[in-house]
Amino acid sequence: MSTSDPQPGPRRSFVGPRILSGAILGLGLVVLYGSFQIRQGGGYSAVGPRFFPLAVAVGLLALGLIFLLRTTLIPDLDLAEHAAIEESATHWQSVGLLLAALVTYAFALQLLGYVVATALFISVVARFLGSRSVVRDLVVGVGIALVVYIGFTRFLGVRLPAGLLDFIL
Amino acid sequence: MDVWNSLLNGFATALSPEYLLLAAIGVTLGTLVGVLPGIGPALTVALLLPITYNFDPTGAFIMFAGIYYGGMYGGSTTSILLNTPGESASVATTIEGFAMAKAGRGGAALATSAIGSFVAGTISTIAITFVAPAVAQLALLFQPADYFALTVLAFVSVTALVGRSLLRGMLSLFVGLFVGLVGIDVLSGQTRFTFGVRELLDGLDIVVVAVGLFAVGEALYVASRMRYAAEEIVGVKGSVWMTRDEWRRSWKPWLRGTLIGFPLGSLPAGGAEIPTFLSYSLEKRLSKHKEEFGRGAIEGVAGPEAANNAAFSGVLVPLLTLGIPTSATAAILLVAFQIYNLQPGPLLFQNAPDLVWALIASLYIGNVMLLVLNLPLVRIWIKLLEIPRPLLYSSILVFATLGVYSLANSVIDVLIMYGIGLVGFFMRRYDFPVGPTVLGVILVPLMEAQFRRALSISQGDLTIFLRRPISLTILLLAVAAVLLPYVPALIARLRGKKRTEGRFVFGSGSED
Repeated sequence: MSTSDPQPGPRRSFVGPRILSGAILGLGLVVLYGSFQIRQGGGYSAVGPRFFPLAVAVGLLALGLIFLLRTTLIPDLDLAEHAAIEESATHWQSVGLLLAALVTYAFALQLLGYVVATALFISVVARFLGSRSVVRDLVVGVGIALVVYIGFTRFLGVRLPAGLLDFIL
Repeated sequence: MDVWNSLLNGFATALSPEYLLLAAIGVTLGTLVGVLPGIGPALTVALLLPITYNFDPTGAFIMFAGIYYGGMYGGSTTSILLNTPGESASVATTIEGFAMAKAGRGGAALATSAIGSFVAGTISTIAITFVAPAVAQLALLFQPADYFALTVLAFVSVTALVGRSLLRGMLSLFVGLFVGLVGIDVLSGQTRFTFGVRELLDGLDIVVVAVGLFAVGEALYVASRMRYAAEEIVGVKGSVWMTRDEWRRSWKPWLRGTLIGFPLGSLPAGGAEIPTFLSYSLEKRLSKHKEEFGRGAIEGVAGPEAANNAAFSGVLVPLLTLGIPTSATAAILLVAFQIYNLQPGPLLFQNAPDLVWALIASLYIGNVMLLVLNLPLVRIWIKLLEIPRPLLYSSILVFATLGVYSLANSVIDVLIMYGIGLVGFFMRRYDFPVGPTVLGVILVPLMEAQFRRALSISQGDLTIFLRRPISLTILLLAVAAVLLPYVPALIARLRGKKRTEGRFVFGSGSED
């Protein structure tokens, strides 16, 4: 935004914020579409079930437009500097790995049972996050999984899937 | 009903061995989870919600009161010894507290914060005892239009007064409003925004939203920044106690902090950030040791900590008497009430007096227990700060999943929570406050219902909100809250000075 600026000012980036404003406007359109899918209830009522959804849709679209303006015509320099710092520091691979681990964990809960899935999850995610003590992580993982499983199922009346260890737990 | 009698009855209930035990478990768990870096009070309460499912309502709430207060005490230990405040209300404490710890006076900082929290907590509980029943009486006069105005005030103050950007606060709020509208509309029975997914008919549980935004969002953010490099933890040498001089310098800030914190916390005005920063700047102005500020002034810990604690207690007033949560943590507490089919509000004091008074009595008891837990036993909690970050965050994710899964044994809920966590990650990345989203989700059903009720009463006449004195007053307060941050800039402009900062704000608005 400051190409004629002779001094090398702080780095700024508008890429992320612009994508974000697109996402917000997209959400606004989805909410607008969803609002018109709501059937207006019969009978007399001053304000139907559509009113608030429409208000939220209009609000999201209006605020999204302002946000888009703040990343283009009237730029928010603070935000751009913040975004540039974030972008240089972000390690997308860890975010992706962590998300994949989480989704796998959700399904493994049913398939493998709580204890096995949790013990594996803790040790694998600790490794993703930089831990190099495999044995320690596995021990902690098994410990937490067992304590939670027994505590919650025996004493707190919360049901958790037993899965593979069905025969002993 | 006589307040003293009710309170004595409450103590009679709360002092029974079973409830004392539950209170002790509550404060211990609350402190334990609250101390963990990256976990603030809102997440503490959300994560510990499933533990209380098995108890009777009174027992569950006594435990909850303990968790609520414990999370707050635990959080101050983290902010003093580790330069990472668990929530924005602790930021003010961190400034002087961490400086004191680095200068080798961590023991005094911990002591003044624990004793200050006790003083503020106890005075505020006394205030709750007498203020809450009076407000509940007053609230009986409130009509739908007034409740609508209250929700407007809560939204405005949490977005306008907190956070660096009003625009980003508003965007967070509107995302929350959208999420809160998903599901079947109570008044008309129409489905909204379910997009054919059966699990969405009942709407999104606030626990799913809060745990996703706070726990998963934070874990993803930490992972992205590779922030698992060792953090600076300052050990505590010597005793956790204060010298005579430190006592002398602490007691006035405690009382002033309480006086600022409680009233501001009880107004629907955005929780504890504002009073802590007000207290910090007040102590800085009044202190005889101004040169110490920034390098570890004990007043800068004592005042904000007391204000924080008093505001946290104050938040219970609108929650119990009006059913309006004014912070993310209070929003989760409201869910806890709803799980037991209790609707906080003016009628709660009439319908469930035993529960309410046992809860209030347990606040007194919990404060005493927390003083013991956080002075002589504080070294145990300090050990928790040394948990390796990779294990800490993978365990936080496990407990987040457990908390959501145990709501309804549903994998869909868990996946939705992860999705919301991804949203939380991007919100952190681009500096959007998370608190307004949580408050939007929990308050929009109430806001809409009261709005529509008010308009059916007035037969569609919108001026009803301006014709009722109560709602008009509250709406004017909301307008004032929007304008307030611009006042210092305006004054500066009138005096012809130039200011770099356009808006005066309190805290970063990331209550988690």
